[in-house]
Amino acid sequence: MERTPYTEPFWAALADDRLLIHACEDCAERFFPPAPLCPACGSDAVDWEESSGRGTLYSVTRQHATADGFPDRIVAGVVELDDGPRILTPIDASYEALSIGDRVVVEACDYPHEYDRGRLESAPFFAATTLEE
Amino acid sequence: MVAGTAQLPNGTYSVPERDLAMTVVRDVLDDADIAPSAVDGLYMPSPRPWTEQKFFSTAMIRLLGIEADRTLEVSTGGTSGGKAFQAAVRDVQSGAVDTALVFAVERNSTVETTGPYFEYILQTFESEFESPIGMSIPGIYAQSMQRYCHEYDVDRDDLAEIVVKNRDNATDDPETLFDSAVTRTAVLESRPVAEPIRLFECPAPCDGAAAIVVTADPDVAAAVDDPATVAGIGSHHAASHHLASRHGSMTELSAVRRAASEASAAAGRSRDEIDVYEPYAPFPHVEAIVTEELGLVDRGEGVAACLDGRTAPDGEFPISPSGGCLGRGHPPMVTPLHNYVHAVRQLRGTASSQVPDATTVMTTSEHGHVNGVTATVFERGDR
Repeated sequence: MERTPYTEPFWAALADDRLLIHACEDCAERFFPPAPLCPACGSDAVDWEESSGRGTLYSVTRQHATADGFPDRIVAGVVELDDGPRILTPIDASYEALSIGDRVVVEACDYPHEYDRGRLESAPFFAATTLEE
Repeated sequence: MVAGTAQLPNGTYSVPERDLAMTVVRDVLDDADIAPSAVDGLYMPSPRPWTEQKFFSTAMIRLLGIEADRTLEVSTGGTSGGKAFQAAVRDVQSGAVDTALVFAVERNSTVETTGPYFEYILQTFESEFESPIGMSIPGIYAQSMQRYCHEYDVDRDDLAEIVVKNRDNATDDPETLFDSAVTRTAVLESRPVAEPIRLFECPAPCDGAAAIVVTADPDVAAAVDDPATVAGIGSHHAASHHLASRHGSMTELSAVRRAASEASAAAGRSRDEIDVYEPYAPFPHVEAIVTEELGLVDRGEGVAACLDGRTAPDGEFPISPSGGCLGRGHPPMVTPLHNYVHAVRQLRGTASSQVPDATTVMTTSEHGHVNGVTATVFERGDR
């Protein structure tokens, strides 16, 4: 019987400041979130791969209506990682300063909100910041 | 054949969902001119998680005294009503059921947006990697609106005209949430909800209920004065979850295209044979993209189609003459059924924004970020 959630290596690596994605050995697809089957070809020959976290801002919003436990405003968006997959992520930057196409890096950070993450309660989360390139 | 339709006015109700459901079911049975005992299939979207009554369909079955051969509660967000209806249609077509009752009920006035509603919405995201970010539904549609304007060089302010049109279409209908139209300026000056989306560009949550009866029973069908038929159904779910898809632009809503194509083919109707569209389009850029995915205009031309009047009730391909969920108010479990009710009104010639001589209407429902879609074609039957 499996005793460890499949995603556990991601959170363990994130606590060590490394961002992991998934790679398919059969079709070379890089994907996120991690799962035991490749969503492109269905192969189970998939494994963890470290990402640089660097990528390009694909879309961004500043959200004004938020849930209990979150600040009044949230800046978040989708980042297209250089390593392949897109990831929905908080963005630690001023909304006014952000544009589609900006270079960013997704990295580990302390989780700042009062949202019940269950078993991941004390795990770090991730956020994007802008890069000067 | 559609034997009857009913809806309660969108608004705020202080009675339990059960009471709204019993009222709208009584109304639809009246419209179909049948007793509850004629119903042998009951279908509904699962009520929202904050609804006190669970086992809702079972509670209703007892209250109505129905002996049902098929029952179904569907829980797939905004497509729930569409999937409940399509299951009813398939069961009637297969002969498993003679007369199917489909109804939906929802109260949003009982919850704070920041409380149980938001908690539920967060839980619809990927639980480990996305829910903790705190995104709302407008928060994800804001990003596709931004991308849409970016990719097709669309003037963001022009999107307000789709809201203006839909609010205008709904103004004369006393059963909608609003009793006045809005101006472009009012839309653009309403408060930001998730930039670039503003408040009047979000569908207003409200309470509501609607119902529709589908039958293959010749006795029930013979008593219908203004018959409408379900000519074709289609459905598709893209390989995506909210904004997350592996490839392609988030401004392409392929599930609309594929569900609509299937429904059109099943109805034997090409694009130019459909007179009216009542899509489930909760934000203005979604209506623009739906217009494109339906093949009515090229990509990036959906807003221009509205600006040019082509989507108006008297236009070349009327879209949301009822106002859609932006114009009518939006109880998401009920909105797909509202679209059916308004489609049937067009075919009966009783719509408040009537398209002259409408004989074929297509409706859609969607959930998530238009990840999953249903499409249904209704036609005027022989009198």
